[in-house]
Amino acid sequence: MSGFDISKYREMFVEEAEELFESADNVLLEAENNGTLTDEEMGQLFRDVHTLKGSGASVELALFAEFTHDVENMMDKLRNHQIEFIPEMAGTLIDGLDVMKELLDLEVSEKLTREVFTEMTSELLVIIRAYINGENVVTAEVEEKHVESKDIGFYDEDLDNSGFNITYGFFNDDEIGKDNDSYGFFDDALNKKSESAVTPVFAHEDSDDFGFFDDMPEITAETEIKANTEDQEEKLLNTPMDKTAEVKEVAKTALSKAASPTPEVKKTMQSRVSKDEKETNKKSSASNNIRVNLDKIDLLMNNVGDLVITNAMLTQFSTSIEDTKTRNSVLERLELLERHIRDMQDSIMSIRMVPMESIYSKFPKVVRDISKKLGKKVEFKHYGDNVEIDKAMIEGLTDPLMHIIRNSLDHGLETPDVRVANDKSEIGSIIISAEQANGQMIITIEDDGKGIDCDKVALKALDQGQIDENQYNSMNDNEKAMLVFGAGVSTAEEVTSISGRGVGMDVVKTNIHKLGGALKLDTNIGEGTIITIMLPLTLAILDGLDIAVGDQKYILPLSAIVESLQPTSDMIKKIGDGSQDLLMLREEFIPVVRLHQLFGVEPTFVNLEDGMLIVVKSGNTKVAISIDEFLNQHQVVVKPLDKNFRSVQGIGAATVRGDGSIGLILDILGIINAQIKIEKNMSYTQRVS
Amino acid sequence: MAKLLIVDDSTMLRDMLNYALNEGGYTDVTEAVDGVDGLEKAKSATFDLIITDVNMPNMDGLTLIGELRKIPTYASRPILVLTTERSDEMKAKGKAAGATGWIVKPFVPEQLLKAVNIVLSR
Repeated sequence: MSGFDISKYREMFVEEAEELFESADNVLLEAENNGTLTDEEMGQLFRDVHTLKGSGASVELALFAEFTHDVENMMDKLRNHQIEFIPEMAGTLIDGLDVMKELLDLEVSEKLTREVFTEMTSELLVIIRAYINGENVVTAEVEEKHVESKDIGFYDEDLDNSGFNITYGFFNDDEIGKDNDSYGFFDDALNKKSESAVTPVFAHEDSDDFGFFDDMPEITAETEIKANTEDQEEKLLNTPMDKTAEVKEVAKTALSKAASPTPEVKKTMQSRVSKDEKETNKKSSASNNIRVNLDKIDLLMNNVGDLVITNAMLTQFSTSIEDTKTRNSVLERLELLERHIRDMQDSIMSIRMVPMESIYSKFPKVVRDISKKLGKKVEFKHYGDNVEIDKAMIEGLTDPLMHIIRNSLDHGLETPDVRVANDKSEIGSIIISAEQANGQMIITIEDDGKGIDCDKVALKALDQGQIDENQYNSMNDNEKAMLVFGAGVSTAEEVTSISGRGVGMDVVKTNIHKLGGALKLDTNIGEGTIITIMLPLTLAILDGLDIAVGDQKYILPLSAIVESLQPTSDMIKKIGDGSQDLLMLREEFIPVVRLHQLFGVEPTFVNLEDGMLIVVKSGNTKVAISIDEFLNQHQVVVKPLDKNFRSVQGIGAATVRGDGSIGLILDILGIINAQIKIEKNMSYTQRVS
Repeated sequence: MAKLLIVDDSTMLRDMLNYALNEGGYTDVTEAVDGVDGLEKAKSATFDLIITDVNMPNMDGLTLIGELRKIPTYASRPILVLTTERSDEMKAKGKAAGATGWIVKPFVPEQLLKAVNIVLSR
């Protein structure tokens, strides 16, 4: 048999590994905080790492598996109480997982050499192995291993390819008997059968051909030495002696480093995860789940979309049946069909939904790492782990949330001494929560840091020409603070490695808007900042309103509509050169966008009062859209526009209507941006003239 | 056609096992993700051979074997353990739990099939 297509399985493994890392990381982060590790947690840790090793070895990630073996060993000893857990171990193991992640990345992309591996792992291995052996006892075997991982010269390229390095030291401590069978039976009769079943050809293959999967376990210390040339054999025999003392020294210093963690590390971060909730989740998700590629679900969704359309076509056609009785009974059944299709749509939608936990679980580690780096103390809490979100949004949402949290950590929260000086608790807090309300997903990120200096932000934006003086004067504090989401605006005096270039927050805004969401920011100097993200529950279906503009029809997302009205002439004010209008609505001035103009459609009226106005909103900005009239309201299946059409400002997506024609869905943000551009040009020409 | 049940918490390994078994002509393969799932599936159908991982959440492989051996249907049917360890201790544990034999992972497809063929031809 030709064997496996390893690359395919590697892909699967990388995906699986990500989950296992996350699971192990979270257990360890908690252990680091409260200084304890329950038996159950140790069991889980061991399992996670054990699976990482076993699966890693199965897809021929030998170096990854080699290092993981040591981490697994330590967890195994912990689990069996052969060594007792001390809080410092959590940090070491977290570092271990970090190294594993890096190794995995490198080895999968085939960039990992033995040298790099040694460099990356040797220091940590000394600590891990010292822990495994109890702090002072360093057994001869371990010493030998240390020497080897230190002594790069020993592993020249020839050996690298021989497969010897990759295999060595792996199962040594497991190798009680020198059993070369990769399977066996507990029944002598069967074992005999197995012997007789081994044809000479097979026997040959077995000893020769286990290069495929079985390298690691098959090669014992004996065969290794045989595999080496005499010269290397000599080295192997000599080096341990010379290096033993040195290794002991290294181990000692490394250990003393590990044993006395810096004070800020100790309580840097506390994350309280509703553990019970999490565990039930895990249990329920473990046994009954299948993995499905999101593309397949999208395809299914598209198919249902087609069904909706076909159904609409049939309905339309059936209304032309002349015989009343037949027509009615056909229409009745079609209605039933429509209901079934709708149910199906809902079911498919629910497949796409995943709990927020899948996003949250990435954060504790990031918070820990950054707060450690910055010397800040943080308590990170998350709520609404079970609130469900469209899987398609996760990718677009993770980055913005990560940016916001980084920013809160870097610029929002103060260092402990500053906090104490300001009568605040030494430990800062970042809370992220999610809930569903009014058909929307609402995510808030709250910190109790120093807040955003709105004037500073606004002055900077003014400086950069993002707003003009009028805007500056009319803005309230929160509106000014919202400017941090503009490109290039950052109040950080220094650019740090974590944030401060003012790029991140711009990305936040763009990404959230891409998801059809909006942002809100509330900040109080000295008290903290709350950022609220409002998102549609799904990206695949939206409630739309058909509107007529000239002889064209467009679809307006219902969620964007604030109100609609038939204006009277006294509500309209002309501004600038007379080409722009303002709607005066309850003491509020709302700029009017003539869709005819924007899309180049022949207008059927000149005076706004002859048409309709629909006030729409994106974020905090409102515009009134001038249209001919609005038609019916219906659910539409959103289909992305081909890349070729992306640049049309004001059009976000498309759908297929009941009659089979294409409907264009308006992009409110795009329309608002277009309006802003027009206004800017206007004020520019005014200034020039 | 022999009915096989494979129990492993790693999707990837289940896939690999499945692939290897399919190549060897065993196409009737059911998958379970842990001991609990495995036990449930074993109860709902009769399998000719069960291959199980050892370290799994919810219920480990050795416990699963113990539970299976209590069920009359599986009292003497072959059960193989998949293990990364080949120590005598591991073998002793496997034997004590009632396993028919062991397969070391990472496994070579040929050897897996050989073991499966032998145990099923009994």
